[in-house]
Amino acid sequence: MSLLDALPSPRLRWEGRHPNTVLVSLSLIMLAALWILDVVTMAPNRIVQGTGYGALEALGWPGAILASLLLSNLGLLAWQPSHRHYRALLATVIMLMTLMPVGLMASSYLLIDPELPQARLGLGAAYWVVLFVLLLCLIEIRLRLNLTRFWPTLLLCGVACVWWLCAAFWLDSLALVQEFNARDQQFVRAVGQHLRLVGIAVCISVVLGLVLAMLMRRYTRLQKGAFAVLNFLQTIPSLALFGLLLAPLAWLAANVPFLGQLGVSGIGTTPALIALIAYSLLPMVRNTYTALEEVSPDTLEAAKGMGMRAGQRFWQVRLPLAMPVLLEGVRITTVQAIGLTAVAALIGAGGLGTFIFQGLGQAAMDMVLLGALPILMLALVVDAGLGALAEALRPGGTR
Amino acid sequence: MIELSHVSKRFDEETAVDDISLRVPKGKFCALVGTSGCGKSTTLRMINRLIEHSEGEIILDGQAIEVYDPVKLRRRIGYVIQHTGLFPHWNVARNIGLVPRLLKWSATEVQARVEELMDLLGLPVGEFAHKYPHQLSGGQAQRVGVARALAADPDILLMDEPFGALDPITREKLQDELARLQARLHKTVVFVTHDMDEALKLADHLVVMREGRIVQQGSPLALLQQPADPFVESMLGGLERGLKQAALTRVKDHMTSMGPTLPAQSRIPADFSLRQALSMMLRDHSDRLAVVDQHDVPIGELSLRRIIKEAQLDKGNARE
Amino acid sequence: MSNSLSALPPRKIASPWLWPLVWGALLLLSVVAMSAAEPLFRWIEPDARQVVYDRVDFYVLLGRHLLVVGIAAVVTIVVGVAAGVAVTRTRGADFLPLVGQLASLGQTFPPVAVLALSVPVLGFGTLPIIVALMLYGLLPIVRNTLAGLQEVDNTIKSAAHAMGMTPTQTLRQVELPLAAPVILAGIRTSVTINIATAALGATVGASNLGDPIISGIVNGNMAYVVQGALTIALLALTVDSLFEVLQHSLRSRFTAP
Repeated sequence: MSLLDALPSPRLRWEGRHPNTVLVSLSLIMLAALWILDVVTMAPNRIVQGTGYGALEALGWPGAILASLLLSNLGLLAWQPSHRHYRALLATVIMLMTLMPVGLMASSYLLIDPELPQARLGLGAAYWVVLFVLLLCLIEIRLRLNLTRFWPTLLLCGVACVWWLCAAFWLDSLALVQEFNARDQQFVRAVGQHLRLVGIAVCISVVLGLVLAMLMRRYTRLQKGAFAVLNFLQTIPSLALFGLLLAPLAWLAANVPFLGQLGVSGIGTTPALIALIAYSLLPMVRNTYTALEEVSPDTLEAAKGMGMRAGQRFWQVRLPLAMPVLLEGVRITTVQAIGLTAVAALIGAGGLGTFIFQGLGQAAMDMVLLGALPILMLALVVDAGLGALAEALRPGGTR
Repeated sequence: MIELSHVSKRFDEETAVDDISLRVPKGKFCALVGTSGCGKSTTLRMINRLIEHSEGEIILDGQAIEVYDPVKLRRRIGYVIQHTGLFPHWNVARNIGLVPRLLKWSATEVQARVEELMDLLGLPVGEFAHKYPHQLSGGQAQRVGVARALAADPDILLMDEPFGALDPITREKLQDELARLQARLHKTVVFVTHDMDEALKLADHLVVMREGRIVQQGSPLALLQQPADPFVESMLGGLERGLKQAALTRVKDHMTSMGPTLPAQSRIPADFSLRQALSMMLRDHSDRLAVVDQHDVPIGELSLRRIIKEAQLDKGNARE
Repeated sequence: MSNSLSALPPRKIASPWLWPLVWGALLLLSVVAMSAAEPLFRWIEPDARQVVYDRVDFYVLLGRHLLVVGIAAVVTIVVGVAAGVAVTRTRGADFLPLVGQLASLGQTFPPVAVLALSVPVLGFGTLPIIVALMLYGLLPIVRNTLAGLQEVDNTIKSAAHAMGMTPTQTLRQVELPLAAPVILAGIRTSVTINIATAALGATVGASNLGDPIISGIVNGNMAYVVQGALTIALLALTVDSLFEVLQHSLRSRFTAP
């Protein structure tokens, strides 16, 4: 009987007396940000730096008071938290997030001179801080309410829809929207390229990973060498690998004509794809290998005893049981691939990274945002989606 | 030395320890026995202020326990727990020297003390000083745990089911060693266990607890002869009580001088227990044994009738 | 807890310092003697006017790269470990769920996006790089500090407490040493990622080993690209193998159960 077993565990009643310091401090931070930092910036055109505007000017009296009230509400509800209060907090947070584009619309109305068609509104520091902190609040509330990823994700999708609607119809003056409108075809194409690259790379590495992992399980001597090579590849910075592949591929394309006809060339998709697959292999192989290894030997023994052949055992027992860990590997690999594909834009592979680097080159911050934000959201959505899938497929149900 | 006076401990609505009073004189070995959840570990941990008592008084060495600074108090009380709690990233020597170093002894003093304790606990210095806990067997690790507890030479030693995780053979060995150590060092020991036999073997003073209260306390022999209620009796083994009592008495205390008849076939050393004598009688189908000293020289005689008659007399003279 | 280590056959590893020395030597060689390999580069890129990147000396680029990664590393280690410790103490326990979730969620952010997003806020130059590296590098360290500290067996912490160690002593002498291997692994991850991310610095106006690569890509000069790529790969391998040595020495001091 260990020390700690001897103690009857003091049961924490549902935190009735203890304020949620996290949420209280977060709401204070947001209030401070609202009143101290710039809420929006307004620039007469694309080149000129914008001037910042505070809460009163950007939102007007009613807007500023409403925002402050909602934010204080967060703090007050968190002072004496209970299950009911947490649900109310969730509602408040979602409401705040949904009202954010409305605030922008108000700013647009108040500040944009209709005579200046080029005038653009930018999100100020206060907006970014509040948005970020609201997401933190969402995480905290989700943890306290013990929700699975499903509901918050659904709610966030709803909020995203509202933003999309507002942006499409009423927020023409927002710099981000203007950038998008200026090159919307390009954007859609870039998203397509990005997804295509990621998709192909991940699919190939899933299959290759499976094959390699199975080979490594059969021929154990292969293990050390294979892992060493993969680890080696993973250590090399992505930019370097992309760069190093350019020369040989260009040479190949020049000197082996049939490859050139296939579309292999020194820049663009081919080196990007090869490098992406190389980087994806390590997490994929490692996860697949562990997943296949760790299926309970007792279960397989039982299957054997019941007369299942090796192949049947593999496809009907081992693989399904290994699925959750496998999916984890796919998740990690995909998220990593999304980031690396952005870098691949430098070598001409296209994708959302082009906006980032073009924007940096032209010192047009909103174009940078046009590239970076979708990448971020893509990564988060894929992560949440595959994470939820892995949880759902876990044998025995979730948690 | 240690005195608990009407001490209680409450956690929210649960009362873990309910109005217990207990005295452990200096140099005595006190065992707290009971089933899981009876409050014995909680009681132990109130003595070194790992838990603060809710009511009553705890007096250590004449002073109320509140007077002592908790951290300094713990450095002066030895503490041994079931899973040793040895630091895996320190070798044996460093683990043992923990408290002396906290007390700022000089490096040579610490080294000397560590070696002394390793000798005392049967761990050859050359072999064990540089080993790490994960390289030790269960018994060896617990020896290190005891050495660590004794390192700063505390007057009080608290032990919380120290041998519970060990196999029976190792457990018995360590119990014997503990008894030997105690005979030599005379620490004031409070020992928690759920194993009644262990408690009967080691304790000077036995305390049986149940649901936070003390059901009976006294010397092992006193409890064996007069259990206060059926619960204590069942804890003491019910019918086996007689044998357990016999295990606590030495042959030499009950032998008679040799009579004119020939010495009996079976010989038993004088310092064996009456229980072993009974077992030998059963084994050899004899109701008489010759008692011999350590040189195998007959010095007396022990008969079955004598044992049974003495047991009756003992009950009358039950020592507290 | 039996002595199973002695059952392992002795492995014939050369000194663990072998790899760091090899990579390090190659790195130094490439940085100092790049121009000596001019004929090789001429063969790669026969048409360019200049085949060895010489706008800035390679060792200067290396120095700048190391500086940026180094500053970020120092700050993130201090802040990250402190934050990890703070939320695992009772007083900071309120923040533990959020910080834990954030640290693992943050892994999903592509580093290039974080870098890109720091520019609007901080402008161009070396500062946004350092800040982006710090923000991004914080996450693996916090996550691993949390994991390492939470893995320390409760029995050991109770024993330390019961022996009379103050909470600070317990932290310094027991918890941190036991969590050290995991924390070190987090630092290794953080630094490795940062070396790669910092290379993109040229796109935001900083100057380091990524310059030749980006310049080469932009101008179509493969030789530049190879030089830059080679140097930065060697740097990454040197640093990574150094960490391997560090981890190996920690591991061999004790194997915690």
